[in-house]
Amino acid sequence: MRTILILLGNEIRRFRSDKTALSLTFLVPFVLIYIFGNVFGVGRPGGPAPTGIPLAVVNQSDSPFGTAVTAALQKEAAFKVITTHKDPAGQEVPLTEARLREMIGGGSIRFGLIFPPDAGGDQLAGLKLKFLNNPRNEIETQTVVGLLQKTIYSSAPQALVVGVQKAAANFIGAESFESFSRSLADAIAGSFGGDPQQVYESIKSGQLNFGGSPTGAASTGVDSFLQSLIKIESEQVGGGKVKSPMATRSVGGWAIMFLLFSLSSSATSLFDEKKAGLFQRLLSAPVRRTHILWSKYLFGMLLGFVQLTALFVAGRLLFGIDILSNFGNLLLICFAASTACVAFGMLLAAIAPSSSAASGLGTLLILIMSAIGGAWFPTSFMPEFVQQLSRLSLVYWAIDGFLKVLWANCTTLELLPTLAVLFGIAAVVNTFSVWRFKRGNIFD
Amino acid sequence: MLEVKNLTKRYGSVAALDSVSLSLARGEFFGLLGPNGAGKTTLMSLVTGIRAADSGEILLGNVPFMPDDIAQRAQLGFVPQSIALYDELSGEENLRLFGGLYGLRGALLRERIAEGLAAAQLEERRHDKVESYSGGMRRRINIVAAILHRPQLLLCDEPTVGVDPQSRNAIFDFLEKLNDEGMTIVYSTHYMEEATRLCSRIGIIDHGKLLALGTLDELLTDLPFSEQIRIARNDSTTPHLAAFERFGKLNTTDDAYVLTPAPELRLSEFFSEAERLGIASRFFNVTRPTLENVFLHLTGKTLRDS
Repeated sequence: MRTILILLGNEIRRFRSDKTALSLTFLVPFVLIYIFGNVFGVGRPGGPAPTGIPLAVVNQSDSPFGTAVTAALQKEAAFKVITTHKDPAGQEVPLTEARLREMIGGGSIRFGLIFPPDAGGDQLAGLKLKFLNNPRNEIETQTVVGLLQKTIYSSAPQALVVGVQKAAANFIGAESFESFSRSLADAIAGSFGGDPQQVYESIKSGQLNFGGSPTGAASTGVDSFLQSLIKIESEQVGGGKVKSPMATRSVGGWAIMFLLFSLSSSATSLFDEKKAGLFQRLLSAPVRRTHILWSKYLFGMLLGFVQLTALFVAGRLLFGIDILSNFGNLLLICFAASTACVAFGMLLAAIAPSSSAASGLGTLLILIMSAIGGAWFPTSFMPEFVQQLSRLSLVYWAIDGFLKVLWANCTTLELLPTLAVLFGIAAVVNTFSVWRFKRGNIFD
Repeated sequence: MLEVKNLTKRYGSVAALDSVSLSLARGEFFGLLGPNGAGKTTLMSLVTGIRAADSGEILLGNVPFMPDDIAQRAQLGFVPQSIALYDELSGEENLRLFGGLYGLRGALLRERIAEGLAAAQLEERRHDKVESYSGGMRRRINIVAAILHRPQLLLCDEPTVGVDPQSRNAIFDFLEKLNDEGMTIVYSTHYMEEATRLCSRIGIIDHGKLLALGTLDELLTDLPFSEQIRIARNDSTTPHLAAFERFGKLNTTDDAYVLTPAPELRLSEFFSEAERLGIASRFFNVTRPTLENVFLHLTGKTLRDS
């Protein structure tokens, strides 16, 4: 045991003396967590959302619809609305469709919205607008389309209602629809009170706040109207008390991925020591191969444990993740995850013929495990068989453990199955690695 | 001190060591001379327990050596051919590690480290990282790391490779001092000058076989000649090569002809003929044979050719 402790102390001393490795081990994950956290909107109160996407708007219509939607888009943080451009004389002039198409075709802007002259839909059913895009990024394009729909539906509802009315008028005839609207206004006024003419005007303008304050916002009226038709009641029954839920869900996945990279490179240092002839010197001393392997393993566990803990502390400092209320179990799962991760690193060193091969293989396996294990996105996004496969990945079980501790606030007893799986993975992988080390030439 | 009996080690179909036997007395400075790939490092790795022999026996202090017996390994010190040190650590930290692995601790460890650093003339650089050391300094501390625990037997596997002459001499002085203090040393090299200077007994090894074993004088005595005549290579001597060849075997080097006289030849006969041919005596030089001659005689090739 003393030999292992001496070798372990040497590993720690070498790690401490390598300032680059030291800073990379802790600083890089810290920075990446910060970047990823912000990419996914962890730090923002409204959750994940993009901001400031340039959106050019050309309004060729006189209808209030175009004006209302443009104003709403300008209030939307996701967009930076552009309605003018500089002409050759340097004067700001309104954008034209031709200019917009030129800008999008040239790639200076990726998204444009055009309200055509008949945007209000005088003759046709509904509302009309054109969405032009240069989809260099499919996800971004889909996000923009979704945000446009949300903004239009929520900020120009009366225009939508007017559009529906026009469609109805086209279908049953203008006179019949006029008669229907007046009968409806009389019935509403008769039942709920109010001036039948005023109610009729409200219906015609699309401001469906009948029964409410005549000064109420149009959107409020439509919202309440739609909500009265379809009522969806949402209740969160788990994780309700979790602070920074987005970060809490995500940080475990990122942390375990960084740890795997860190520990696999640590394990591949075996090749460097072999190349330097250090194993010859160590093995000529009163040192056994198992001493060397155990010291490496213990160092990896220690490094992994400290790094994981540091990452969660970073999550606490940057995104307010609550790590203290179940801290003991968090340390426990960090320990179990480190044990499994370092076993993976030793496996790489045991099966790869060289340092570069171990590095390449490690990168491949870590990316696959992170992808299918749920470190990047929910496993439910993947095909059924991949979801089954993901249960073989230590990333899956580590994330499961972190969520049990941080999200569900599980007790040690409830955590035991996950701990058992992680320790089991470590035991199986280690047994195989030792078997491989005995047959390999790393110590020759 | 060390006895090796019929030691054999094969890598696939290649015999790296082929039934090698030798015996070392306590306090001996033994040289293992051979070209690269001759089997020197393999023999060292078997004696240190890094690798296991296919067959044969090793006795350390008359006790069978078991590679897995780490207590036996503690009696040995090994200076590997490569600089087997942690570059990112200081010289002192490296010594503390290796001394600790041999069971030294506390005041004794500090004392041995101080002695080692003084012997290697590295006291002032003790806290500097090894990666900042010169080649000679690294080689010296590479040796110190192997002797902190005062091993009974020190095995040095080509410890001066790539070292400048000044550092090489410092290493020689250091090893001779250790040997004077009673340490048994096995020193492998492919430089015959090193073996000649340091070793009281020399084993010549090639292709895994021990070809000869003895003191320098014994090895030279076994040669079929006791002198050689070195003839300058110039316009005065070159026309008379046929005449020279009548007196023995003539080899040509870059700047000279080397005549190994026939056993029955008397040197006076050769010089009489040279005088008759009108060749000035300054073009001739009588030399004593060296280990190079021994190696050439045993293998048919020079160490450099190997």
